[in-house]
Order: sequence, then C-alpha cells, then structure tokens
Amino acid sequence: MAHDYNNILQKLCHHIGRFASSGIEIVPESDLINQLAIDSVKLLNLVMEIEDEFDISVPINVLADVQTVRDLADLIHKIKSAS
Amino acid sequence: MTNAISLETKPLSSTVATLKGSLTQAFDSKLSNESTIVVNPTPTYNSQPQRLADFDTLTSALEYAATGTTGYNFYDAKGNLRSTLPYRVLKQNARVSARRLLGLGLAIGDRIAIVADTTPEFIELFFACRYAGLIPFAMPLPVNLGSHAVYVQQLRGILEGSQANVALANADYINFLGEAAEGLQRLRWVGTPEQLEKLPAPDKTLQSNHPDETAYLQYTSGSTRTPRGVIITERAVMSNLQGIVRNGMGMHSGDRIASWLPFYHDMGLVGMLMTPLVTQVSVDYLATRDFAIRPLQWLRLISRNRCTVAFSQPFGLKLCTLRVRDSDLKDLDLSCWRVAGIGAEMIRPDTLRDFAEKFAPAGFNINAFLPCYGLAESTLAVTFSNTGHGFQSLRVDAAALIDKKIAVRLQADGRKYTEFVNCGRPLPGHTVKVADDAGQELPDLRVGSVLVHGTSIMTGYFNSPEETKNALQPGNWLDTGDLGFLFEGNLYITGRRTDVIIVNGRNIRAQDVEELAEQQPEVRSREASAFSITDANDIMTIVLVIECRLTSVADRQSLTSRLQRLVYMAFGVNCLVELVSPHTLPRTSSGKLSRFAARKGFIQRTDLTDQLSVESRDR
Repeated sequence: MAHDYNNILQKLCHHIGRFASSGIEIVPESDLINQLAIDSVKLLNLVMEIEDEFDISVPINVLADVQTVRDLADLIHKIKSAS
Repeated sequence: MTNAISLETKPLSSTVATLKGSLTQAFDSKLSNESTIVVNPTPTYNSQPQRLADFDTLTSALEYAATGTTGYNFYDAKGNLRSTLPYRVLKQNARVSARRLLGLGLAIGDRIAIVADTTPEFIELFFACRYAGLIPFAMPLPVNLGSHAVYVQQLRGILEGSQANVALANADYINFLGEAAEGLQRLRWVGTPEQLEKLPAPDKTLQSNHPDETAYLQYTSGSTRTPRGVIITERAVMSNLQGIVRNGMGMHSGDRIASWLPFYHDMGLVGMLMTPLVTQVSVDYLATRDFAIRPLQWLRLISRNRCTVAFSQPFGLKLCTLRVRDSDLKDLDLSCWRVAGIGAEMIRPDTLRDFAEKFAPAGFNINAFLPCYGLAESTLAVTFSNTGHGFQSLRVDAAALIDKKIAVRLQADGRKYTEFVNCGRPLPGHTVKVADDAGQELPDLRVGSVLVHGTSIMTGYFNSPEETKNALQPGNWLDTGDLGFLFEGNLYITGRRTDVIIVNGRNIRAQDVEELAEQQPEVRSREASAFSITDANDIMTIVLVIECRLTSVADRQSLTSRLQRLVYMAFGVNCLVELVSPHTLPRTSSGKLSRFAARKGFIQRTDLTDQLSVESRDR
C-alpha cells in the first residue's frame, strides 16, 4: 500500500511539473494554486492527464477539498483503492 | 483533507471510475429508474406530430411530449451512454415524486432547492415540483480547487435568500448542502433523490398549473453579493420558449440537441433542457465537468448522433479551439450542426473565427453560428440573429466610441477600431431600446443602456423589492445593465455598464483595460479586473486588480509599473495596480469576474469605505 502511494505521488509530481511554474520544487506540501500556479485551465489539463495515467475518473466535488500536492495524491490513492 | 470524500460510504458516484468494465457494470443503482441497461439513445425522429411550444405551461408541454418516444440522454466522460430519460418516463417519475414532496407537508408555492448536477434526477425533481405546485430552482456546483468553504457559503446564501423549504443534492454534493443548511429553521427536509424515493407517496391529486403562477426561480449570484432569484412565471417561460424555438432556432422535425451547459445556468435550463421538451426533440447531455476536461467529447456527440443544435458560451468554443488536437479532427463530421448558438457573455468575432478555422476541416460550417443576446431577467433570450447566415459584425471607430459614445462605422483602414457582433433582432412580443443616463431613447448607432420590454420579463427578484425596483423601470422596462447600440433593427452589445469607466467625460471600457493587462505574459485571461474609484475631491482613478503568481519583489514591481505605463499610454489616465493572490477576485456563478464585487473587495482591503455608496453596480 505504501509502495503504491509513493508510486502515485512520484507520478503525480511528474505531471504537475509539466504545468507548474518552472524552477519551483514540488513537494507534497506544495500549494497547487498559490505556489505551483495551477490555474483553472491548467487544472483541466492536469486532471485529464491524471485520469489517463491512473485510469480513474476524478469527481469534481472532491476537488473542492484539494489544496496541496498531497491532497491530490491522497485523492488519487483513495479513488484507485475504491475501484 | 476534510470529509467530502465519502467513497466508502455510498455506491460509487456516477463520475468515479466504474466505466472500465461492461456497460452493465457502469450503472449504479441510483441511475436506474425503469430500465437498467441502456443500449440505445432516444430517437431523433418522433412517433408523434411536432408541436412548437404552443403550450400554456411546462407540465402541459410534458404531458404532450410523453406521448412520443423522444427524451433526454446522459453520456459519461468517455462518451458512453449512461442513462436515458424518455419524456414518457419523466412524466411518470415526476408525478410520483410530486406526491412524495407533497407528503412532506409543503404548501403551494414553497421553494425547493436542487443542486443541479447533469442527471436525470435533477430533471425529475424539477418537474415533480411543477406537478406539485412547488417552485423549484437550481443551485450551482463547486468549480475550483479548494473552494469548499466558499461553495458552502454560496449555497447558504441562496438557501437563505430563497427561504427554501426543501433542499436536495445527489450523493456527490449532499455533504456541502448539509453544511450549508445547518441551523436554517425554514428547511423542512434536506436529502438526496434516493432518500426522497424512500418516502411514501400519498395519494394526492395533482392540480394543473396556471400560466400566471411562478414556474421557477433563476439564481444569478455573484460569489460575494447576496444572490438574487429571478422570478419567472409559466407564461413568461412559455412565451420565451415559443420565441426561441420558432423565431430563434427555427426548430423542426429531425433536429437533435447536444449540450454540456450546466442546468443551473439559464442557457442550460431554459435553452437546453426546456427547449427540447417543448418541441419533443431528443437531447444528448455531457456533464459540464466532462466537457471542460475533454471538450472533444461534446463535438464527438454532435458528430456521432448527428446533432443539429448546440449552444455554448464563447469560452466553451475557446476551450475547444485550444484543447482539441488536430489529429482528432479526422474522426469528426460536424456538417450536421446547423445552429451553433453563441451567447451568455460578450462575443468576440475572433473567438468565432478561430473556432471556425480550426473545425472547418471537420465539416463545421461558419454559417451555423447564431449569435444571440439575453439574460435571466428576461427568462433567457431577447434577440436572435438569423439562422444559416453565420455571424455579422460591425467595425466602429474606437476613438468616437470612447469620446462621443457613437458607433461610427469604420471608413478608412488604419484607424483604431473595435469590432462588435450583431446579436440580431428582438423575439416577437419584445422591444429593445437604447437610452441615455436620463432615460431618453437614443437613435441608431448611439451607445447607451439596453432596455427590454416584453412578455418574458421577470416578475421581479424573489423577496428583494429594492433590487426589483432598480431593475424594472416604469412601464415595466427591464434595465439589463448592458450597454449597446441598435443599427437597422439589430442589437450590438458593447459591454456592461459597470464595465464602463467614465474619466473626464470619456467612456473607457473596463474590458479594454483588462485586455491590456491580459496581453502581458504574467497575466492570464479572466484574472484581471478593472473599475474606477472616486476620491473625496471627485478625482477618478482607474484601479486594476490582477491575480498574480509572481513572488519576487522585482518581478512584481516590473509588472506594476509596466501596467501603469501601458494604461496611461492607451487611455491617458493614471491607474492604480493591485496584485493579489490567485482566486481573490470574486466570480459569478457562471464564472465571470464580477467587477462590482472586485471593486468592493478592493475598497475594503484599502479601507476606502466611503467609496461603497458610489453608483457602480453590476448583475
């Protein structure tokens, strides 16, 4: 389980890195909006990549509680475990 | 993370990944009403003669549609058909749910709040309310990362403003609704459609509706202001629908609609949910979220099901142009699309041109564009251009527009111009006039406030006599808050009144200031808000608030001074630039920036409270 989670986190950081402002280190505590500058259009692209990468569907209601990279990784892990 | 993820405690939500297996696995219990396996969408061609919205009330329209074979179809993010709701089934389910609602001890005219996800349940509840003589209204979905608290606050504002008696949300949103409803005395019952289904359906007679009764409320909230509920009667909505389907879209047998527009937006509710019903036409829905993430799915639906009518805001077209890959075009055939309606925000000709150019190889016909103008206060639509003619536009001299408020058609090349899209003529039973600040009607090509009179105008804002008085002028002329001009009977919208900054008697469009900012690489579109403030000495200053991600002091300073320089160069006035963190600027339920609220926020942050009484307002 822990291995799965780390794997998710690693892949997620890779995807976020493609959208985030360059030169900023991405850590689990990074704030997606304020630190990594993921705006609404980038978010749509990021969600699409996440869905393709992890073969899941991310419901819009749960994004309202996502602020950090870790929140997002937790969410993916939760959806994957439930499917 | 807080408790909004409740995957363990409920059947997997309709949007969670249950779709990898066979179609039958894709159904969770709550989606299945009568039929559990959906193989085919409802047909395009009906078994009954088409009637074009010649009904007194929405339920009488449904009674007729229910004698045919057409209806609503719901597709998932991957383009699979998830469920269908033929009008025949809708009628049956809505009538049963109506009795369940009445079993809660509600009185005629009580308000029922429904969080409006794109589901069959929303439509069933909406019509259940009408059968029961109750007043339904749609509440929005959350849209942003981390927006939990803001969203709950927004819902609460609407619940309070509407004095709702019952509130419903599906399993995905019930937690938010529960939080918003906490402690509200008037609410008798809060739950999901599944919970409602478990209640008894007492044997009550359902009365037919009267054209004069309120059909529904339409909330048009900004995110920080008190939301306003537009009251629409059965007569108003049927009048508007008749104009839309006959004169606006020219609906006929063989039409089929595709839509991703949210049901909580007037264009989604009236345009894409009621229009098909009152013409007994089938419609294919994609959830707004699924469109936003994969806009291609909407175009695929149109292509695959040979849809003829689909509407969008300009922003939706932009998403398609930006995000659909060229390699996807070969699988699309959009030649069936005869009405590509555009409305709900200012239409820029370039947005339409870019879209047409991108999708021409897929058979999109630029003549399918159908610009229109409207607002929730007039049910939905006010003017429509002509179907099959594409969009027309007028290039007017930019200087004359600002200095003299006159739209002078561009005579020579090389002058700075602004291009406006022709939004067409008023629907039958409606009149549009343009007036100056004193209320005097203006001739063609003179820019002023757009006023509308006609049969689909709202009765008022629910429980807001003051706001109603501001919007509905003597003689029942609706002040739209928009600016525009008429030319040869056609309406051209030039901006919103709050969008105009008057400095030294010159009209400067706030939009122009914002666009200038958005041309800077550090500033994204929809993240700049411009308005004006006046100090004690009556000196007017333009304020530009920018959502900014720059962290270094030098970068921020560079952006600020560049913007001040550019605004001065373009408009000859000084400008105050404030950089704020992302998601500070308030947005309306349809995602537009609210300048009124942005201005209020700025004034509060900078402690200029004596500014709050100044004239500016938007809606």
